[in-house]
Amino acid sequence: MNKTVLIIGVVIVAVIVFVLFGGLGKDPQHIDSPLIGKPAPPFALKAVGTGQTIDLESLRGKPVIVNFWATWCVPCYEEHPTLVANARNLPNVQFVGVVFNDTEDKILRFLAERGAAYPTLIDANGKTAIAYGVGGVPETYFINPAGKIVAKFEGPLSTELLEENLAKAMK
Amino acid sequence: MIATLFLLAFMQIKVPDAAQFVGAPQGTPLTGPQLERRTMEISSELRCPVCQGLAIGDSPSIMAANMKAQVRELLERGYTEAQILSYFEKSYGQFVLLKPKFQGVNALVWILPILALAGGFLLVVTKAKKLETAPVKSAAPNEPVDEPTDDLYLARVREMVDKQ
Repeated sequence: MNKTVLIIGVVIVAVIVFVLFGGLGKDPQHIDSPLIGKPAPPFALKAVGTGQTIDLESLRGKPVIVNFWATWCVPCYEEHPTLVANARNLPNVQFVGVVFNDTEDKILRFLAERGAAYPTLIDANGKTAIAYGVGGVPETYFINPAGKIVAKFEGPLSTELLEENLAKAMK
Repeated sequence: MIATLFLLAFMQIKVPDAAQFVGAPQGTPLTGPQLERRTMEISSELRCPVCQGLAIGDSPSIMAANMKAQVRELLERGYTEAQILSYFEKSYGQFVLLKPKFQGVNALVWILPILALAGGFLLVVTKAKKLETAPVKSAAPNEPVDEPTDDLYLARVREMVDKQ
């Protein structure tokens, strides 16, 4: 009886330890997107500055990088120069910024100070961000020319990570 | 070119809508206190994606506030709880559901506690049975004393009595 109890105890502890150690390596903020491989939720939003409405569907035919950000997000400041530089270097890729819960004044000031190379759209109440499953900003979605989401990246992008994810959208 | 720009400028703003993901509303549109109550109830079932382990109803984050506003709007439009949860699940995955679904590995979350409870119950029952039967054996007054240990004990007692 004592041996059985010991074995059961060891098995239970082993399972708990295995599960806990498995979870240790994971980023608790990471959310696996169920949208990978699915059509990107459509949107048509107004761009800051120009007032022009940009429809995602009209961008079909080339890879699109949709970057969700905000002026109240500190890592977005760090990421912005990378996005601007890559947008200038990659004319065949359409970059789109989507900002939620922010004001046009602040966005325009941010872009004037830090440069702008692509349209920044206003998602007033974050509905677009919700449809994309955005957890926190910055978060970037890579859409292939057929309009399907092929990758999602959470946090500030480096050129290397951008190229790595963009390669999936080029296939 | 100018005509295109002009057209673009006047194009209607369009945000992704729940109808595209979960179809037309299947319930009745809610208003007043009932709307508030259901908003709170459903918000307590959705996990805030920014903060860990908090429902959107309890989180002060911007994202959670947006999600809660969306829940409210969908209830106002007549979407059912199942449709609303399914809408959020379609973009955030099962991560967003604070009550995991009974499927795949998640089913273990529901099955394991029941198994553990059943196992514990069985253990208690078997132990209790053993406790019940054990004293009966030793305390039975009319049972013949035929165990070798008792024989030895009796023999020893007799031996001591004889000696005296």
